[in-house]
Amino acid sequence: MVPAHEIEALVGYQFPGGEYTIEHWENFLLTECTGGELLPDAMVHPVALFHVPILGCNTSIAEMFALGQAESDFSIGIESYDWELFAPLFEDTRYQISGRVTEADRHQYEQGPTYDRIAFEFTVTEPSGKDAARCTITWHYRRGLKT
Amino acid sequence: MKEQQTPNRSVKVGDQIPQWVMPNVLPERMRTMAAILRDPNPVHWDPGSVEALGFGNHTINQGPLGLAYMINMLHLWQGPRSIRRIIMTFPQVVLDGDCATARGEVTGLRQEDGEQLADCRIWLEVKGRGIALEGSAVIALAG
Repeated sequence: MVPAHEIEALVGYQFPGGEYTIEHWENFLLTECTGGELLPDAMVHPVALFHVPILGCNTSIAEMFALGQAESDFSIGIESYDWELFAPLFEDTRYQISGRVTEADRHQYEQGPTYDRIAFEFTVTEPSGKDAARCTITWHYRRGLKT
Repeated sequence: MKEQQTPNRSVKVGDQIPQWVMPNVLPERMRTMAAILRDPNPVHWDPGSVEALGFGNHTINQGPLGLAYMINMLHLWQGPRSIRRIIMTFPQVVLDGDCATARGEVTGLRQEDGEQLADCRIWLEVKGRGIALEGSAVIALAG
């Protein structure tokens, strides 16, 4: 099992950061996946607040799994998503993204298995410099699973 | 200074938010979503990997998609600019073929920065299996 101190050392880790522009085709397909209707005025469906921060920050789900030394794709469990929306997102707008690890520590479920709890915080900023959203993803990296 | 909105007097604590139903969670949508998200986890597109986990010959819906069903409910209730915050937990997986119903209720009302806000408990029920997602939302009420 990965030593706990290696997980705890992740706190403060900064992703490279970058930018992301949501094009119409992407918003169309995303919205279709939700079963909802396209929003008016080229507004982006808020479900984009999962992948836009990750990809815009120049990382990926796979890299986030690897950062916490996930034992497999199946070992990841979601604790929570916390999305704060300060302004709607719009198509064809170049958003700046930053992201970092804010929490990383070892725990044990009541049933016994060990997991590492890692929280990632991303900020989505409009071209004007005003924050549009802050998204916190908290995952459990379960250790010692047989699968 | 922000314009003061007219308080929305039609929403009360204890009100139920009109439900939103996804009658059949489709695996095709999970595959599209996996591509957009660049999500390599095979549980979203390979039923064999899910069967090995004990969930049968299914694929597992992405967490954000279940959350999106509740966003759709909230948008239809108070408009596409109304959501201020969502916090979501995921006690159970949602599988292809599930019928999922987004539900919610108002737990509190308050004023903040000139907006009337509703604190809501929101959840996603899967037919036959109970609550799959559960959390809270802060919604700016239409004037």
